Amino acid sequence: MPADEAHEDYHHDLTYREDAPLVATRPGVELYCESTGQGVTITTLNNFFFCAPFWREYTDQLVEHYRVISYDLCNHGRSTRTQAEPTWAEHAEDLIRLLDAQGVDSTYLIASSASTQLARDVALAHPDRVRGMVLAGPVVGPQGMRRHRMLQRAWLRTLNSHGMPELYSHMYPEVISTDMNESTRTPGFLGLRESFLAMSTPEELNNGLRLAQEGEASPELLTRIHTPTLIALGDDDILLGPTAGHELAALFPNGRCAIMPKAGHVPFLDDPAGFQELVRKFIDEVESHA
Amino acid sequence: MPDTATDVRRRIRELLAEVFGGWGFVSTVDASASLREAGVPSTALVALLVAMEDAFGFEWDDDVRPEVLRSIDSLAGHIETLRA
Repeated sequence: MPADEAHEDYHHDLTYREDAPLVATRPGVELYCESTGQGVTITTLNNFFFCAPFWREYTDQLVEHYRVISYDLCNHGRSTRTQAEPTWAEHAEDLIRLLDAQGVDSTYLIASSASTQLARDVALAHPDRVRGMVLAGPVVGPQGMRRHRMLQRAWLRTLNSHGMPELYSHMYPEVISTDMNESTRTPGFLGLRESFLAMSTPEELNNGLRLAQEGEASPELLTRIHTPTLIALGDDDILLGPTAGHELAALFPNGRCAIMPKAGHVPFLDDPAGFQELVRKFIDEVESHA
Repeated sequence: MPDTATDVRRRIRELLAEVFGGWGFVSTVDASASLREAGVPSTALVALLVAMEDAFGFEWDDDVRPEVLRSIDSLAGHIETLRA
């Protein structure tokens, strides 16, 4: 890959904004929060590997049309550390309180991998606060979450036995698509590793991967979610193939599935512009029926 | 191809200047300083690694340890090790 192409493919400015607020959500808990753009609100939900600044690269076109809020989960990044790892319910409560503090009545959610479980829980508990959901590389499957949880247990064992660089080496061929792996070669692998290592500590990942083992896994829950939902799925996703993606979308009373060719488990890594275009079309479609 | 340790470090600085920040930035970065902490994003690091392959005639290995990528000194040390 020529250097200029590599420069185009990777940005990952992970610096925190010194002027971004810390938003109080629960007693003793403040969350780092970035808000960019104006209009209908989109809120990004971190899985346990991302931090708030990571999303800038993947929402740079969306902020031209919408307000995008990105924040660090409690016990991660610049947000408050608590002694006990938050439960899924506490993460959901944090999000609602953050929206309250930001003056947001309802929002679209963009979730990735493990955070699609959080998006599901928020939509179930607070349907009036969620205008729509984009589930990218979902871990909620049409038959359950068994494969996802087995995968994350394997990652947890690698993390605790061998450390973060080895965890990254374990995850990379599973999460990153064949196309991206082949086209960016070793410099892409090593460069993304720098971002991976900068975004989390071993303790944060240990806590997050353990939490990912918890929570209701029944696909029946999805049939109760009337919020418009887009499944954004790479056809090279390790967890779900295109057939299962369409089956998953069909469980939601107002679901649809978009397949991103050659993309992996985090499809916006493969095609940031294409992903944002999908999100924009989805939101415009939902808003036109509002 | 750069021969001495000094030449290798100078060439790495030239490559970094080409992919991120120019000489105005690179001249402020100490050879032993963390590139990440100095503000070099992974964008530029990937571009630098690609450029180093061309400049020094080698290919990076997936098993390279993170500390090799830390600074200009550590990158230069890797080149010197390959040549030893």
